[in-house]
Amino acid sequence: MSVADFLKDLPSHNAQNFSQFNMEHGLRTSQKRASVYLPTEDVPSEQHIVMDKRCVLLRYLKQQWDKKTLPRKRDHNSSADGNGTANSNCKKRPRLEPLEMN
Amino acid sequence: MSHHYVVTAQKPTAVVSCVTGNFTSPTDLNLIIARNSQLEIDLVTPEGLRPLKEVNINGQISVMRHFRPQDSKKDLLFILTLRYNVMILECRMIGDQISVITKAHGNVSDQVSIPTEGGVIAVIDPKARVIGMCLYMGLFTIIPLDKETSELKATNLRMDELNVYDVEFLYGCINPTIIVIHKDVDGRHVKTHEINLRDKEFMKIAWKQDNVETEATMLIPVPTPLGGAIVIGRESIVYHDGNSYHAVAPSTFKQSTINCYARVDSKGQRYLLGNMYGQLFMLFLETMDNGKGGVAVKEIKVELLGEISIPECITYLDNGFLFIGSKHGDSQLVRLSTTPNENGSYVIPMENFTSLAPILDLGVVDLDRQGQGQIITCSGSFKDGSLRIIRIGIGIQEHACIDLPGIKGMWSLKVGIDESIYENTLVLAFVGHTRILTLTGEEVEETDIPGFISDQQTFHCANVDYDQIIQVTPLTVRLVKSSTKSLVGEWQPPDGKRIGVVSCNSSQIVIASACNVYYIEIENCYLAEKSQRTLEYEVACLDITPLEEGKSKADLIAVGLWTDISVVVLSLPKLETMYTEKLFGEIIPRSILMTTFEGIHYLLCALGDGSMFYFILNRLDGRLSEKKKVTLGTQPTTLRTFKSFATTNVFACSDRPTVIYSSNHKLVFSNVNLKEVNHMCSLNAQSYPDSLALATKNSVILGTIDEIQKLHIRTVPLGEGPRRIAYQESSQTFGVATLRVDVQGRGGPKPTRPSASTQAQNITYASNIVPKPGGGNTGTTNAEIGQELDINNLLIIDQNTFEVLHAHQFMPSESIISLMSATLGDDPNTYYVVSTALIYADEPEPKVGRIIIFHYNEGKLAQVAETKIDGSCHSLVEFNGKVLAGINSFVRLYEWTNEKELRMECNIQNNISVLYLKAKGDFILVGDLMRSMTLLQHKQMEGIFVEISRDCDPKWMRAVEILDDDTFLGSETYGNLFVCQKDSAATTDEERQLLPEVARFHLGDVVNVFRHGSLVMQNVGERTTPNQGCVLYGTVNGAIGIVTQIPQDFYDFLHSLEERLTNTIKSVGKIDHSYYRSYQTTQKTEPCENFIDGDLIESFLDLSRDKMKETVMGLEVTLSGEKKEADIDDVIKIVEDLTRMH
Repeated sequence: MSVADFLKDLPSHNAQNFSQFNMEHGLRTSQKRASVYLPTEDVPSEQHIVMDKRCVLLRYLKQQWDKKTLPRKRDHNSSADGNGTANSNCKKRPRLEPLEMN
Repeated sequence: MSHHYVVTAQKPTAVVSCVTGNFTSPTDLNLIIARNSQLEIDLVTPEGLRPLKEVNINGQISVMRHFRPQDSKKDLLFILTLRYNVMILECRMIGDQISVITKAHGNVSDQVSIPTEGGVIAVIDPKARVIGMCLYMGLFTIIPLDKETSELKATNLRMDELNVYDVEFLYGCINPTIIVIHKDVDGRHVKTHEINLRDKEFMKIAWKQDNVETEATMLIPVPTPLGGAIVIGRESIVYHDGNSYHAVAPSTFKQSTINCYARVDSKGQRYLLGNMYGQLFMLFLETMDNGKGGVAVKEIKVELLGEISIPECITYLDNGFLFIGSKHGDSQLVRLSTTPNENGSYVIPMENFTSLAPILDLGVVDLDRQGQGQIITCSGSFKDGSLRIIRIGIGIQEHACIDLPGIKGMWSLKVGIDESIYENTLVLAFVGHTRILTLTGEEVEETDIPGFISDQQTFHCANVDYDQIIQVTPLTVRLVKSSTKSLVGEWQPPDGKRIGVVSCNSSQIVIASACNVYYIEIENCYLAEKSQRTLEYEVACLDITPLEEGKSKADLIAVGLWTDISVVVLSLPKLETMYTEKLFGEIIPRSILMTTFEGIHYLLCALGDGSMFYFILNRLDGRLSEKKKVTLGTQPTTLRTFKSFATTNVFACSDRPTVIYSSNHKLVFSNVNLKEVNHMCSLNAQSYPDSLALATKNSVILGTIDEIQKLHIRTVPLGEGPRRIAYQESSQTFGVATLRVDVQGRGGPKPTRPSASTQAQNITYASNIVPKPGGGNTGTTNAEIGQELDINNLLIIDQNTFEVLHAHQFMPSESIISLMSATLGDDPNTYYVVSTALIYADEPEPKVGRIIIFHYNEGKLAQVAETKIDGSCHSLVEFNGKVLAGINSFVRLYEWTNEKELRMECNIQNNISVLYLKAKGDFILVGDLMRSMTLLQHKQMEGIFVEISRDCDPKWMRAVEILDDDTFLGSETYGNLFVCQKDSAATTDEERQLLPEVARFHLGDVVNVFRHGSLVMQNVGERTTPNQGCVLYGTVNGAIGIVTQIPQDFYDFLHSLEERLTNTIKSVGKIDHSYYRSYQTTQKTEPCENFIDGDLIESFLDLSRDKMKETVMGLEVTLSGEKKEADIDDVIKIVEDLTRMH
């Protein structure tokens, strides 16, 4: 496969683009800059990006704690039912969470 | 106290990033280019790239990425700044106006974490679900892109990988999944992480690949249906998708590391790769059926396409066109061609976008002795290195050029078309004959006017009253009817005298023949001599321009005389002397002109040496007042008026053509970017409306003139990186230190390409005399074959032609560190003083170096002296005929003995590393690697250095400059400027030893060099602004700017205008101006103080009148000692005056 094959059918968004590029004077050199945008209307941001300032370690520990404590509550309940393995706990946990949050 | 005004003359040019997408509308194809703190939005059109708008961001752009939200037809822009501000921007077209909306903004910095070593990375999930960033070690910051919430919560995820080289999001994953190149003790590995957006944690590793190439640096995610990622190493390329693995090690690849890529097609089969050599490759993923109805990668193919500027970023635009963004040279628009050109390259450069970055050094020289500096920068690196000659002036846009040597005069006429507004004829005078050209459309043909004499030189030609044309030759004045082109009247001086000089308006002619002056009125078909007078001396030049606007008759004539060198104003019609002004000196007046600028009458008188006097002219009594002188060129100057944009201008034709106009009732002199103009006339022809015809030595140029003056940049390509420049007036040369990268061959280092140092007229080589500490020899490099070696050269370059006259090549391990031109001791010669250091990779800092004295004389560079030094000399300054050197931690002074040797005189060691030195009188300003600035004094009698004071706040310095005896300007590595001031009035010794910081400013760019000098003419008596001194700076991002001192009351006024402007002009990305301009390092943040942001002040002029009014409401200004409420026009004038500094 030759380089020419590589360069075949290069993508075209609009075939007109660059079709009238003027090379009469050889390589163009441009120093031109567009006019500067000076907004004077204050458009409020739709969204603010805020940093979660909590420490990664604390967040991790809390997550671990949540992971540990949630099954325990579940354990408690399930043991009351007299029916439960670690496996089923895991499976059911996600469904319970929204309830807890409520 | 010290107050400063800082303004950009040349905006940064280095391209940080570029993206292509649909931003301004779903169908518009846009290119967005990020340069330091600016975005340029371009539209791709059939004619090429069209810049639409430039957007300022109050922060330096670190990363720019674009993404398309799932249900959107337009792309959005994500920007991360150096100070961890983030923003999501949208472009909207409202009518034909672009507005840039900040959709989201915030800050993701973390005070306690450690920043990543290799810079920040930001990537966006292909489905636009989340933005991921590597900002701090061991953390991966995510911004989930929820649509509904008003708050986007950025969260740090803990990441096991500490040394991350690259991160990308993979395509086609159910959950957002990143792929990482990271390093541990065993080597570099590739690993994927799936992100759980709900719990904000990494879930699992989908797949990984341990031990990829040891120098793998870049990841390219491959879109579906292929998926997976390409891992780019220094020598090899690997494709991996978790299941299959393909590798290739192209032989063309070894030379340099790939540093950027662009995807060509959306399916992800073709990619463009660029490396630091400026080579462009194409990578092709050949596919096959994977047996399950899908496709899989079969093979990776890589081909070299050709050469481009050293790229920083590449983007595919359309129809085979690419934009190459560069930090080391000009950015480019190139086209990929399926057939190679004569050099075997498939890459065809289409357009270059001038870039000065990085400016490592610059010199300000006034080659024309006009009081106006030209800047010569050391710009670009490696193969894209160049010198740039930068000059402020008015540009002529050339529309046509006719080869015609020897023109002595030129006039435009309307012939036979008196009712038309356009002219159709050019009359050209030559020695002994006259030629007439007609302009028909764009065509120019020679013609004749029967009433004209063509075998004599024309002195003057013009359309005059009664539809007539006048022609003046040495023997006769001829009046020709425009409609019939035939002679209707004639006047000849009595007794066969020859006409010397002439001036004419539409109804009057004044003619001088030696001492005799004749005044003639033009009537219908008749020239009526009204009066005659014999003056004391011969007439050198004349003018009869009517002063009153719209009046065709003049009341005065102005005359310049030989012998007594005077200007005489005569009344009309009697030719009585009204006023005489002696000019003194011996240079005769060559051209005199009366003109009116902004309602004020002036008399301008240009002399034979290129200088010009100008006066205010009283129309009633002919008195001249307020005499001023300006040097415009070096040759006899001719003054002509022309109208441009409905205002009167004067064109001064000489070897330094200048346009003279008035602004705010002050005359402004602007250079024109042409080498030499002998004659000019305005031309308003149908195909060349509002144009000028300019006669140079060999041709006539038809062109239009720019409305305002601006910087003109000329490039002298070197093909190797320039690092230091020094100007030597006596030899009319520049000394330039360059760095060339050679490759070790069997017989030693070999240049890889022709460049300035290999093509010099003369080449000499430094012998290996300085031994390496601890044995060895600088001459014998134990470089392996194929290894790159840095070769330093001292180039001597002609100041006019920029030819390389001489190249002196140093040994591979010896680097030129500093360079100056100096006269030393009583020695009449001027020398180039070069300092070098022997740099070895195993030494923490150089232990040995040299200071070498070269003399360039009669085309030969000779080494006169050298001295060995125990370190690297980072800075050299001529100090009262001696050599002042900063050598590692020492500041040392060498005297030049009669035996032509350098002898150490004194020494002080009070620094970590002395990088920068500046001197004034006996005082020396030292810029240290990390200990800010210190002021030393040299006690000549005792022969010692004494430390006067020091700034105790640690700063990593990048450049220093002395503003005045007490005030010192510094630039440091976090892009801040600061000023320290000596407190001479302090009462205690301790206070006196301090150099307190009195002003600070965040420039948002790193200044590499400060030089005193001005871009505009300084010797023109009219001070427009109360600023003092002028320091030019050059930056890493290719910007040039000015720092100048301003008085307290002017500062107060500008400061309050600045504050008002920050309220009027809203910040894109919602970063406050005060936050942006605050001085910030890793150690401290302090508000901007005693600096005015000139860029913001100047933006006042671009506001609508309503907004101007709103901004100046309640603003107070002191005008001629009186405090009053400012109105818009006061402020416009003040700001316009400020803009005239550049």
